Amino acid sequence: MSKKIIVVDDAPIIRSMLKDILVQAGYEVTAECNNGKEAVELFRELRPDLLTMDIVMPEKDGIEAIHDILAIDGKAKIIMVTAVDQRVALMKAIRAGAVDYIIKPFESDRVLSAVRSALGE
Amino acid sequence: MLNEPKINRAIKLVAKISIDKASQVFSKLIKTGARIEMEDAFLADITSITERVNRENTNVVGAFVDLTGEVNFKFLFHVPIQDSMLLADLMLRREVGTTKEFDVYAASAVQEIGNILASAISGVFSSDFSIDLHPTPPEVVNDYVGTVFQEFLVSAAPERNDILIMESCFHVIKNDIRCHMYLLPLGESEKVLSYIINTM
Repeated sequence: MSKKIIVVDDAPIIRSMLKDILVQAGYEVTAECNNGKEAVELFRELRPDLLTMDIVMPEKDGIEAIHDILAIDGKAKIIMVTAVDQRVALMKAIRAGAVDYIIKPFESDRVLSAVRSALGE
Repeated sequence: MLNEPKINRAIKLVAKISIDKASQVFSKLIKTGARIEMEDAFLADITSITERVNRENTNVVGAFVDLTGEVNFKFLFHVPIQDSMLLADLMLRREVGTTKEFDVYAASAVQEIGNILASAISGVFSSDFSIDLHPTPPEVVNDYVGTVFQEFLVSAAPERNDILIMESCFHVIKNDIRCHMYLLPLGESEKVLSYIINTM
């Protein structure tokens, strides 16, 4: 059975790029959304195996969302997807409990390597 | 007031470093050769720059980003609406020309390029000038270039007669896409420049 992933990013084009990479590699993208608030709700409802999460988003940013999601399930696996040179925010995300990160612009190999590693594949 | 040669030196240094970084990131994002050239970096008179932009009659898609921190900037990236569709095709690795109408992906291509360029610039300020800046989520607008530019100015410097502008032109090889970006220090431009000059 394919692993379930939620893609969280406020840019539809990035969601589409990530979704294409993940689906072609055999993963199931069960949902996508554009802010941290929706991500927390979707996580509670769908309990995916993994989330990819942007940091800078409207309403609730990725770091706040990590705290909320890990409060629901401390074993949740979250990979941050962030623009180059947001090192401070990235470190905050890792300290908050993100398991890995991908820097935008990204290559499909890097995305899949982070996903496989996070899922223990 | 700082003397003019120092101001010009500071402006051109920041612009050059920022644009070199942005150029690398931009090429990687669209997976094709791109070159960003600094057209100009200057302290502009608001009236004359507005008149110049208003003479153009292009419909553009723009992304506003606020860079907040020890000093505050406002960033604008804009591209003609037709070219936003080409950028979407390039980012989605589709044949150029696939997107025929302005859609959510064309808007989002500009949103994301604005986000990545603003982040690259904030990274330069952090690494080269020890000025920490945090980008806000981009706001995408679609209108005539004069209207977009006016909105950029009004929200950034309503009380001033002059503003600091870094204007750059992007050339995407083969497709000749022309985009522009502007970086505008908010509040006291002299304070920002003084900060930078003191680190040079």
